[in-house]
Amino acid sequence: MIEVRDLVYEYPSKRALEGVSLSVQPHTITALVGPNGAGKTTLLRCLAALEPPYSGSVAIDGLDTAGAPRQIHARLGYLPDFYGLYDELTVRRCLTYAARAHGIAPALAAAAVEKAAHNVGLLDRLESKAGELSRGLRQRLAIGQAIVHEPKVLLLDEPAAGLDPQARRDLSALLLSLRDAGMTLVVSSHILAELEDYCSEMIIIENGRVVGGKAIKVREVERTRYMIELATARSDLREFLESAGIDVVNADGIHALISFTHNVSARAKLIRDLVGAGFELASFAASTKALEDAYFSQVGHA
Amino acid sequence: MNPELTRNLWLELTPRRLATMAIILALIFFAAGLSGGDYYRPASVAVVLYYFIVVIWGARNAALSVVGEIRDRTWDLQRLSSLSAADMTWGKLFGATAYNWYGGAICLAVILAHGFTHDRFVSVVIDLVYYLAVGVIAQAAAFLASLIAVRRRQSHTRLEIFFYQLAGLIAALAVVYVWDAADPAGSIIAHKAPTDFIEWWGHSYDARPFLLISLALFTAWTLAACYRTMRLELQMRNGPLVWLGFLVFIGIYVAGFDAWLSQDPMMANWDPVALRLALAATAYGFLTYVMVLLEPKDRVHYRWLAGELVAGRIGKFAGGLHAWMMSYLATLIFCSLLIWWQMRLADMQAVALIAAGLGFLTRDVSIFVLVHALPGRRRGDFSVLLILFALYVLVPAIVNGLDVKGALAFFYPQPGNAAWLSAAIAWAEALLVALLAAGRVAIAEQPAKIKPA
Repeated sequence: MIEVRDLVYEYPSKRALEGVSLSVQPHTITALVGPNGAGKTTLLRCLAALEPPYSGSVAIDGLDTAGAPRQIHARLGYLPDFYGLYDELTVRRCLTYAARAHGIAPALAAAAVEKAAHNVGLLDRLESKAGELSRGLRQRLAIGQAIVHEPKVLLLDEPAAGLDPQARRDLSALLLSLRDAGMTLVVSSHILAELEDYCSEMIIIENGRVVGGKAIKVREVERTRYMIELATARSDLREFLESAGIDVVNADGIHALISFTHNVSARAKLIRDLVGAGFELASFAASTKALEDAYFSQVGHA
Repeated sequence: MNPELTRNLWLELTPRRLATMAIILALIFFAAGLSGGDYYRPASVAVVLYYFIVVIWGARNAALSVVGEIRDRTWDLQRLSSLSAADMTWGKLFGATAYNWYGGAICLAVILAHGFTHDRFVSVVIDLVYYLAVGVIAQAAAFLASLIAVRRRQSHTRLEIFFYQLAGLIAALAVVYVWDAADPAGSIIAHKAPTDFIEWWGHSYDARPFLLISLALFTAWTLAACYRTMRLELQMRNGPLVWLGFLVFIGIYVAGFDAWLSQDPMMANWDPVALRLALAATAYGFLTYVMVLLEPKDRVHYRWLAGELVAGRIGKFAGGLHAWMMSYLATLIFCSLLIWWQMRLADMQAVALIAAGLGFLTRDVSIFVLVHALPGRRRGDFSVLLILFALYVLVPAIVNGLDVKGALAFFYPQPGNAAWLSAAIAWAEALLVALLAAGRVAIAEQPAKIKPA
């Protein structure tokens, strides 16, 4: 879906990207990580056909950014790290403008707005002014504007910055649902923990280069790992979990590390089942180590 | 309807704002009608209000239409839309100023109502076209200035926005001044008798229709410039043809005024062909200075251009040429033609002066490129303007003060015996600065070393 070959981007005072090549498969969520100033935002802007490369090529859905920037814009959604909204317009008008500006016909715009509002959970706020929304809801509206035309590719630059934990969880669920709906997502961040929940691949950028030269698979992160801790040891913990069809990564009498869905109801049911089966549940929490392990193992070799 | 225009109308034309404007204007006209007298009659007040609402305030809103989006961080959303550059341009230009045009329409209604009862129909229509054109040209010039600033990635302080607005006001003032000069009742601003006829390409034309057509043409070119700058901002490529077309237009337009130059004693012995070539070359030289000052001077782009030329990709190279480069090339061609023409007439003094002028232009353009290619070149344009001020004003004043007249050949084209010396010095300076600039442009940047966070 995204092909980058030998991309070089230069600011007058600095070469920001040096021979970047990468490939992003369709229907995946790829994390773009690296330290501040590494070139993540510049790379995203080149992918979004907002900045012309000095040399090399960027192709989105088979179209070259230098040759067909406006066609790419029509296929793309982009949420910059610092974005603004039309505070004086209602959510409905913000989304209607985004839909119309992305070429959706007037007759179809209302339906597109309703769908986008539903996807980002803003159906009950359609008549609220954008300026009256909380930070988390503004983030949702900004994403709604970026997806209202159902783009093939969605680029998000630091989408979880400044969000509270609940809003971050909601964002994770939203991004996964967008991927399941057929979009290809690239999400940049320098906070690995927030990417853990939804990214299947990771590209590490450092000093304008891709560390290791390619994207790396992040094992098991499509289904987040959860750590179950009991107050009293039970030797049948693994057996119980496996009989319930759960993927157990590791278990002893007190702890079990499982790979499990993000679905809140499914998690609630599992907890109910454990308690119902007499397990004294002390904690049930997401494990956030996999991505960090993968990142530092790569950066260590850089 | 154009989505960008629709969005602007949602924001600009709220019922409360519409009612406020109508009520305030109605009260002002009512008060003017009650006060009596020629100066305060409603039509006179409407003219003043029209200039304020459409020209002054409208130019500010036009300047803010893109700059405001950048300030509010919504510009990337718009750049990523599927809107065409044309839709974006007119949606912004007329959408952001919709409220001004609403107020302006009320004022125009009062002006026209007075006109139809006091003047001939044709005269009222000409006035209407003039008022619309002066509003559009002021707003388009301010809009264009702001777009150019966006291309240059300048910050957008209130002072800078005022400068963009000022560009619109200067364009409007130029229109008002020229229009006033052709007023059948005589110029109020210049206190002169009316200019009934204008000499152009050896023919006399009625002043008002000539100026009206000129005004329409320049308005069209300003709008075209807005559209093409918007294309660049939307990452689309502009070919060189439109700017070349403008150069042809401006060359033909300016060269037609040779009758004005022939009254200059310095050029009394120049024939019409030489005068016309000189006028066109001067216009191109002026455009070179204006465009090299306004356009972004990005050495990364210059290096890319050189790479395309060396690789023989002439289409890409031509498409990447900046307007100042094409203007400089036109100056070079027309100066060469003028030199050839004057050599035929054996006017070697003129040949030397033209060569010197071209040399100094080449040097100045190279200074722009060099200074912007240097490390830490923030405020590069300001530095270049300071250098040029020193070269053309400060140092020559000191040289004059020291009574070393011969040294002036280093700074200006000099008539008389120093003419050829002046030309040689100008080209020596030009080549030196151009070589330095080319060397600096050729150096590629290395990736910055970044410490992990």
